[in-house]
Amino acid sequence: MIGGSPWTRRLLATTGVIGLVFLGVPILVVIPMSFSSAKALTFPPPSFSLRWYQAFFGDPRWMDAMWTSTLVALVASVAALLLGSLAAYGLRRGTFGGRDWAEGNFMAPLIVPTIIVAIALYLGLAKIGLLGSLAGLIVAHTLLNVPLVMMVMGVAIREFDPRIEQVAWSLGASWRYTVWKVMLPNLAPSVFAAWIFAFIGSFDEVIVTSFIAGKYDTVPKKMFNELILEVNPTITAVATLLIGLTVLALAAVTVILARAGKLKQTIV
Amino acid sequence: MSDIRLEGVTKRYGPVAAADDVDLSVAQGEFVTILGPSGSGKTTLLSLIAGLNRPTAGRIFIGGRDVTEATAQERNIGLVFQSYALFPHMTVLENVLFPLGVRKIGGAAARSQALEALKLVRLDGLEGRRPSQLSGGQQQRVALARAIVFKPDILLLDEPLGALDRKLREELQVELKQLQRTLGVTTLLVTHDQEEALSLSDRIMVLNHGKTQQVAAPAEAYLKPANRFVAEFLGIANFVGLDGGRTGLVRPERVRLGPGGVNGGRPARVIEAIYLGQMVRYHLAIEGSEGAPIVAAVPFVGRAWQAGESVAVSWDAADIWPVT
Ligand SMILES: Nc1ncnc2c1ncn2[C@@H]1O[C@H](COP(=O)(O)OP(=O)(O)O)[C@@H](O)[C@H]1O
Ligand SMILES: [Mg+2]
Repeated sequence: MIGGSPWTRRLLATTGVIGLVFLGVPILVVIPMSFSSAKALTFPPPSFSLRWYQAFFGDPRWMDAMWTSTLVALVASVAALLLGSLAAYGLRRGTFGGRDWAEGNFMAPLIVPTIIVAIALYLGLAKIGLLGSLAGLIVAHTLLNVPLVMMVMGVAIREFDPRIEQVAWSLGASWRYTVWKVMLPNLAPSVFAAWIFAFIGSFDEVIVTSFIAGKYDTVPKKMFNELILEVNPTITAVATLLIGLTVLALAAVTVILARAGKLKQTIV
Repeated sequence: MSDIRLEGVTKRYGPVAAADDVDLSVAQGEFVTILGPSGSGKTTLLSLIAGLNRPTAGRIFIGGRDVTEATAQERNIGLVFQSYALFPHMTVLENVLFPLGVRKIGGAAARSQALEALKLVRLDGLEGRRPSQLSGGQQQRVALARAIVFKPDILLLDEPLGALDRKLREELQVELKQLQRTLGVTTLLVTHDQEEALSLSDRIMVLNHGKTQQVAAPAEAYLKPANRFVAEFLGIANFVGLDGGRTGLVRPERVRLGPGGVNGGRPARVIEAIYLGQMVRYHLAIEGSEGAPIVAAVPFVGRAWQAGESVAVSWDAADIWPVT
């Protein structure tokens, strides 16, 4: 794969490094800035303090946004996990016609430009009277994360020998008992990974949320709105917390999948 | 323990009939093998009997009960696959306890029943291991123990020894046969290996393109095949011309060889002599014949003919079986 002449290889390496720097530097800059004692955004920070973290945790509006984000991400990720796993199971194990069509339908939110999904959800939720409601937000986030779950769980289910299930049935185990006692214990690492991806996916979401959340603020939505008004260093504290959360979650996924020997298959 | 009866069982996948109007009766305690090339519909037939699949047409009876519409859970069948299909997260003992747990049998009774089954497949002492810590042969023994521990009405085995190397396969064939006889359980085994079919079974059902070709005892199917396909699938077949343009089958063991120039044999030349241990296999060109070489399998006693030598080939008229 990484064959070719030394020249191409060098070009590839250089591009890779530039890409990494481009992505990494803002992250590295934002972290020290969040611990700055200065009133405005300056780099490097004159001295260190926790004042922007205090500003964040002391602001009820930020805390409200945090609560909304957490609640939505928790409910939507669990719902997406359930629906996405069932869909993946049906698509991988079923033999009915129109499976490709059904899969395309479930995967659409990942493929269609987000802005289109946002508009579609805006119109759809308005029609059923859920626009601007917490329930509407949860429905939207569930929909957006189903494809992620389906991707992770689809690989895991395909790798799991269908004959193991068939034997369990022949031994007298019901479908539900088999899923619970045979499938889930073996697919647990992938279930966990899928749930983390869905949780982060929801917690990070800003475009669709901005369209449909109405008076509700999630953390990313509020960050975006604050940035438009004024550049407030509180943002850097929030950003650092989000980075920390993401890194921790991905580390957990990596450790668990690596221990199950599933890392390579899932992150293709 | 029960008998199995298939009546006109058909399974269509679009235009393909994976099982085509199959009739079969397996008596209580009998060992029947379904033999056929890859894609002939063996697995399909087994999965229909196991209830993992519904037939397009026909009825299936187990122990006289019509189970055509019954679920896999309701059929009380022991199932073993080539891929072992053990539960990877459970120990050997937990795997064998699984069907008992489902049947609400627990505690010491279940444990002793499971250990008994493990003893039958000669795995005592390994009950704490995980499947990944066992060899292929051991894993298949666990699968077997799990399939018999709940005293199923019938046992279905889909190429159970297909993943094992030759020596182990032959060992397990003997054990499987003994186990089946000990338990007296009605058994249906699927294989594409004709030696396995001939050595294990009370009767063989030969399958091709989903259609039954013949159901017969091993010796009968071998010596008196119903058609050309069965003749060729069950071993080496010599086809010789008969009166009236018909064709006859002579098995290599029934071909006799004598020194060339002797009366009472057809003159032939040895094309190839293959030494097989107890037997030597000769490929022989009959003088003046354009047909395929005749194959003879002759016990090796002292001397073998060499390629290029002239010999006389003969067979008894009683050893010819007309085929269509
Ligand atoms: N789920 C299925 N969908 C479509 N065709 C199938 C399916 N299962 C089996 N077949 C077809 O049925 C035929 C018999 O398959 P199978 O029973 O697996 O044969 P065997 O076990 O003898 O190798 C094959 O042509 C196969 O392609
Ligand atoms: Mg098969």
